[in-house]
Amino acid sequence: MIRKDRHNKPAYQTIILKVIVTLLFIFFIHNHLSAQRPASRESALKAVFLFNFTQFVEWSPNAFSSNEDPFVIGILGDDPFKNDIDEAVTGEKVQGHSIIIKRYADVKDVNYCHLLYISFKDPKHVKKILDSLPNQNLLSVSDAYNFARIGGMIRFYTIDNKIKLQINNEAAKSANLTISSKLLRLADIVN
Amino acid sequence: MRFSSSPIKGKLMRIILLTSGAVLILTCTAFFLYEFVAFRQSNKVQISTLGKIIAANSTAALAFQDHDDAYETLNSLRAEKHVVAACLYDDSGHIFAVYPLYLKESDFPASPGKPGYNYVNSFLVGFEPVLLEQKFRGTLYLKSDMKAMYERFTLYSFIALLVIAVSSLLAFLLSNRLQKIISDPILALAATAGIISRENDYTVRAEKKADDELGLLTDAFNQMLTQIETQNAEITGLNHALERKVVDRTIKLEQANNELKLQNEFVEKILDASVHHIAVLDTEMRFTSINKMTEQIYGIKRDEVFGKSYIEVFPQSKDSRAHNDIQRALNGKYVHNPVTKSAIINGYFENYFIPLKQDSKVYAVLILSHDITQIMEANEKLMRVNVELEKSNNDLEQFAYVASHDLQEPLRKIQVFSNYAEQNIDNKEDTKKYLLKIKFSAERMSDLIRAVLNYSRLSHLEEQFGQVNLNQVIENIKIDLELVIAEKEAVINTGKLPVITGIKLQINQLFLNLISNSLKFSNNQPVINISSGILTANDVKQYPELEPEKRYVEIILTDNGIGFEQEYAGKIFNVFQRLHNRSQFPGTGIGLALCKKIIDNHHGSISATGELGKGASFSIVLPL
Repeated sequence: MIRKDRHNKPAYQTIILKVIVTLLFIFFIHNHLSAQRPASRESALKAVFLFNFTQFVEWSPNAFSSNEDPFVIGILGDDPFKNDIDEAVTGEKVQGHSIIIKRYADVKDVNYCHLLYISFKDPKHVKKILDSLPNQNLLSVSDAYNFARIGGMIRFYTIDNKIKLQINNEAAKSANLTISSKLLRLADIVN
Repeated sequence: MRFSSSPIKGKLMRIILLTSGAVLILTCTAFFLYEFVAFRQSNKVQISTLGKIIAANSTAALAFQDHDDAYETLNSLRAEKHVVAACLYDDSGHIFAVYPLYLKESDFPASPGKPGYNYVNSFLVGFEPVLLEQKFRGTLYLKSDMKAMYERFTLYSFIALLVIAVSSLLAFLLSNRLQKIISDPILALAATAGIISRENDYTVRAEKKADDELGLLTDAFNQMLTQIETQNAEITGLNHALERKVVDRTIKLEQANNELKLQNEFVEKILDASVHHIAVLDTEMRFTSINKMTEQIYGIKRDEVFGKSYIEVFPQSKDSRAHNDIQRALNGKYVHNPVTKSAIINGYFENYFIPLKQDSKVYAVLILSHDITQIMEANEKLMRVNVELEKSNNDLEQFAYVASHDLQEPLRKIQVFSNYAEQNIDNKEDTKKYLLKIKFSAERMSDLIRAVLNYSRLSHLEEQFGQVNLNQVIENIKIDLELVIAEKEAVINTGKLPVITGIKLQINQLFLNLISNSLKFSNNQPVINISSGILTANDVKQYPELEPEKRYVEIILTDNGIGFEQEYAGKIFNVFQRLHNRSQFPGTGIGLALCKKIIDNHHGSISATGELGKGASFSIVLPL
């Protein structure tokens, strides 16, 4: 068979070329996917963390108008979690309230919400959002730089490929939220 | 020293010490066991509580995957130094954090086990679920060593030993003092008992020290001693009475014995005075009693034969008639044997064997024996005389027969020839012839009468025995028969003959008759040989008529005469027995009968052997 191929030199070279092109394509695709994966894993972890916050933070009963009212986790801006957040809260409850996920495009849409993740990064923009948010019974979470120092409550940050927390307990207290000492112990506390 | 032989003091002490020791050890053991169980339980509770606290504090670290915080939380276990290892597993069962840090993951169980705490190889190991709002977040693993317990137990052991030592010392001191309450009265009692058994002093009393059982024992002991004392007194009194009784009885017994002895002596005297032989044999035929007569006749002593059996003393009487009779008497039969020839001594006895019975059982045999030897000898003499009398009667009858036949024959001849002479008195020649015949007949009669007289004289004459020299006798006979010997030219050969004891005239007649016969009964020149020899003891036994203890000589006389037929050998010694016609060989027929008579008088023996026509041989046996 090989000898036959030598007789048909042009056909053989075409096949080689096709294979190389295909391999290169797969390589690029793969690289692209691999580059996105840490971000994806990080967001999945953060989705879980978001839910975990509900377990270490106590909302006052007046945060809910009735016992049947759901606990709302809101995502403002681009949703980095996609399905991860939905999976993380499936079948879970917060202080006896079932959890629903709401995605908001604009801060004006946020009205009845208990935990809000602000996906925007720009601190100035975030500061504006924070100012326009309700000042009671809402736990704010963001990756934005200096988030806890500008009035946000919990900020995610990464050191040595680990997700760390920065918490502004005063802000939480003023929002009538009680953060568990267990959570506070993990976090970097700022005022 | 074995426990059973140790003194009561020691026993009591040991009992008390052992009991208190056993109680202490048991108590300590129970305490240790309780402590062991209690510690394990409390340790479990303690560790599980610790686990719950750590687990509760680990929720945030697990929730936010904070390894540092998790480690810090675990590190708080430092305060509890018996927790040697701990780790956290996350909700998917992977190890999240370890304590202490130097341990590797491989030092822990690869995956969490069931919740709960268990003792494994002297470690308490447990898994505590980490729950957050009832939601499983992970598992805490705890491992605690038991050093705490060991430390505690070391302390307890030290205390226990101290307690045991102190309480043992206390028990020893107390028991040493208290045992005296029990041992002292017992020892006092034992000492009293020892004095009593050593010195046989029953007046000693034990001192009563308390009113308890030992006091009762002392009382009972003292009471017993009192009883023994009284009993002793009674026994002593009884003994004295008994001794007196024994003395009385002994005296009576001695009296009775003396009486019995006298009686025995009396009986013995009577027995010894008896002319009979008396002996008593027991059932084993042993002599138990014999009298003096028995001692004398058998030459035995009563002291030597008592206790010995009859056969032992007289072995020669085994299976004798007397022996059989004793056995029959022992079987209960009364045996009377009028005449028994003794197997032991020379003599005859009339024996009585009387079984002595008690309750119809024979216990001895009384032998009464009467010596009848003299009576028997007299009887024998009488019988001998009788035999002789019968013989002389026979002779008389023979004599009467001879008188009636042989003497009548010449008488009848004399009568016949007297008649012939009377009728022919005129014929001188005839008368002379008849008278001559009468004369012959008369002479013949005279011969016969003389011969018969001779014979009868032999029977009745008691002549003295003396030394007879047979050589001389034969020489005298040769001289007497000188004419006949010369006429017949006879030859008489005589060897050396002995001197015997006998009646000289009769011995002379014996040989005269025999030699005359030999000369007479011969048809040619007679040759007579006379020889002699001493008979040996064995030879003597061949002759029943001879006495074995005497010495005899045998004289053989042979001739070459007409002899006789052997069948007549026994007859030729009878009176008037003639084997030949008188006209052939004249004779009276008394000659050999005379010889036989002489031999009988000398208690000898005579026999003849003969062969017709060849000669005869006479064997004469006479005592030396």
